[in-house]
Amino acid sequence: MLSRVAESLYWMTRYLERAENTARLINSSTQVLLDLPKGASFGWDVLIRVVGLDQQVRERGIKLDEASIMAFLIEDEDNPSSILSSIHYARENTRTFREVLPMEIWERINGLYLYIRQNAKRATHGRSERYEVLDGVIERRQSIIGLLAGSMSHDIAYQFLKLGRNLERADMTTRIVDVNSAVVLPTDAVLAVPAMERLWMSTLNALSAYQMYRRHVGVHVRQQDVVRFLLKDPHFPRTVHHCLSEIEGCLADLPAHEQAMNATRQAFRRLDSMQLENLAPVVLHEYLDQVQADLDAIHSAVTRQYFYLHHNPVTQSSQSQ
Amino acid sequence: MNIICKDYRLNEAFDELIGPDREPRPAARPLFDYLAGLDPSTLNDRRKAVEAAIMTMGITFTVYSDAGNIDRAWPFDIVPRIIARKEWQRIDEGLKQRLKALNMFINDLYNDQLIVKDGVFPIEVLEGSKNFRAQCKGITPRFGVWAHVCGTDLVRDKDGTVYVLEDNLRVPSGVSYMLENRQLMKRMFPEIFQTATILPVDDYPTRLHDTLAALSPREGERPVIVVLTPGIYNSAYFEHSYLAQQMGAFLVEGSDLVVKDDDHVYMKTISGLRRVDVIYRRIDDDFLDPEAFRPDSALGVPGLMRAWRAGKVGIANAPGAGVADDKVVYSFVPKMIQYYLGEEPILPNVPSYLCMYDDQRDYVLANLDQLVIKPANESGGYGMLIGPRSSKEERAQFADLIRENPRNYMAQPTLSISTAPTLINDKLSPRHLDLRPFVLQSDQMYVTTGGLTRVAMKEGSLVVNSSQGGGSKDTWIVDMEGV
Repeated sequence: MLSRVAESLYWMTRYLERAENTARLINSSTQVLLDLPKGASFGWDVLIRVVGLDQQVRERGIKLDEASIMAFLIEDEDNPSSILSSIHYARENTRTFREVLPMEIWERINGLYLYIRQNAKRATHGRSERYEVLDGVIERRQSIIGLLAGSMSHDIAYQFLKLGRNLERADMTTRIVDVNSAVVLPTDAVLAVPAMERLWMSTLNALSAYQMYRRHVGVHVRQQDVVRFLLKDPHFPRTVHHCLSEIEGCLADLPAHEQAMNATRQAFRRLDSMQLENLAPVVLHEYLDQVQADLDAIHSAVTRQYFYLHHNPVTQSSQSQ
Repeated sequence: MNIICKDYRLNEAFDELIGPDREPRPAARPLFDYLAGLDPSTLNDRRKAVEAAIMTMGITFTVYSDAGNIDRAWPFDIVPRIIARKEWQRIDEGLKQRLKALNMFINDLYNDQLIVKDGVFPIEVLEGSKNFRAQCKGITPRFGVWAHVCGTDLVRDKDGTVYVLEDNLRVPSGVSYMLENRQLMKRMFPEIFQTATILPVDDYPTRLHDTLAALSPREGERPVIVVLTPGIYNSAYFEHSYLAQQMGAFLVEGSDLVVKDDDHVYMKTISGLRRVDVIYRRIDDDFLDPEAFRPDSALGVPGLMRAWRAGKVGIANAPGAGVADDKVVYSFVPKMIQYYLGEEPILPNVPSYLCMYDDQRDYVLANLDQLVIKPANESGGYGMLIGPRSSKEERAQFADLIRENPRNYMAQPTLSISTAPTLINDKLSPRHLDLRPFVLQSDQMYVTTGGLTRVAMKEGSLVVNSSQGGGSKDTWIVDMEGV
């Protein structure tokens, strides 16, 4: 596998995962909003903070109302993390390694790109159209994953795809969990408790996790149970724990994986040691930041090990195999 | 069907599908029987479906001047061009004969130059050749073959004769469109493939792979084959990627490769450097190796020529093969066939006038309004003058160009190249076309079944190049035995 191609595969799948998760994040936040009781408030700007784009928004003087923020996150071509840009980058990356993927994958990715290009504007019109368009993104992205799993040899190229997907997914899961820190609930407990419950239900829904949570954890939706489930459950495919296991599996199939593997185990150990009972919102936020930092360390180790040759000139006497 | 044929306006050109009696030619009859069974709106619906499929499949062709937008759908016409198998067999033999002679010629030029010594090929032509590479002198690549992949352009004149228009021996492109066009037709018109005997085209990638694999310096092992592309901004990038995918080869850019002290070529992989055996390069000679050719090239691989000369890597087409891809050299191909093979050419050349010879140049200058003037080394239809359609100023400008550099120009009579029905605004109208079959040679030879038919989408236009508003059609070789 060429270094350059491995890196493109890795980023292509990160971009696609980012697009899908941004769509999920927006849809779930909209749900949260609908369910909030009188007296509660929600700031759309939290979405910007959660995806780490607050600085860009400030510098560009983007307004913090719903319509502006939606345009920024969905169709803004100057925002490299917008859904449209992410899918565009994924497609451009795919161009450079179409030969390693089954032909239909390119067609689907191209199809997803054409879809969002045609519909991105419509998604900013109103909440119901937005839901429908973003749901279309999620659905198309899911069909790409399904096609990959079923029609591509689980070879080295596949491991890089999976690696990128799981790193991005774990990262986005922590960010989606973090959204709830932006909600200020009424002080009246009679209103606050059910509101809280609905809030976390929306989070579970955003990650398509509600049904599995009910089956494996219970019918009561409490913050500490939900957070524990989304961070530590080993079986649900969008939890941090599960993603780390997947990353471990990918790395095991790659050559010279020691450093990246160490970084992954470090992330695992830290996750295991987190006490999630009766967590203050501030502590939860710090925990989530920590997980994100650990994921970034894995990313750095992967970059150093596998993409190095692509970024650096080879001298005549350097190592060959 | 009657309606389709009655409305169809034949002109003086030969039509590939409709005879002078306004009836479909025998090989095209199954197609017209099929079309007769469709109602007109169906045809239009299918055309729209094809256009949508082209968008999703991302079959695109970049045009150099389309700044900003790196792809654009390449027009595809749903009416195929049809040739009877019997006629094709003769063309197939003619193409093999031609490439065999061309390869013997290139090898001779870089070694003993017997054809020059024997007075068959004038030394002046060789001396004026832009594509002769002194760096290749004294080399005989494996099998004596330099041009492993050749795209030969054919046209049919009004009397029905098929002529060779040019031999593309550098980095000919278009074969992926031939393959994709067939895929599109099978998707959209599966019924007709059940009733007519249309020969398949899809073994090309396998044959290309075998042609390349035969060049591997490490015999007995599964060779590592790479397709070397200039990158995604090249007009044929789609094809480079497509062929790599179809052959299971690596698609590499110059920066992915490195030549080390041991003269081996390596590619940069996630687990270090890995040896490369064969390079199917889609980069021009000039950019291939900054050590040997243009020092400012960022696309190439320093040391590649060294590795090739040392026999450590196979390169297709070999550096220097372009010496025979020259419109002046072209006019000597019939003589080469006689000289090297002792055979008569099966496929004729278009009569050509070389401006380097005084008498021929005088004729050309006196008849600029009748002739097509071509520069020796351009491709893609650039820098041509089509006499009958030119203005006085253009002719004067070309006369100056010819006098300044006579070796660089040749002229041919304006052929009335053939037409085929093409769907334009829901109606079939005649449009001019040519045909580019692809010919392979290493230890064996192979010709594609048909090739890429390019069609000038503008009424009356003779320029079929994709870079100048051309489109393409599927090409059917139809077996008439037992029909």
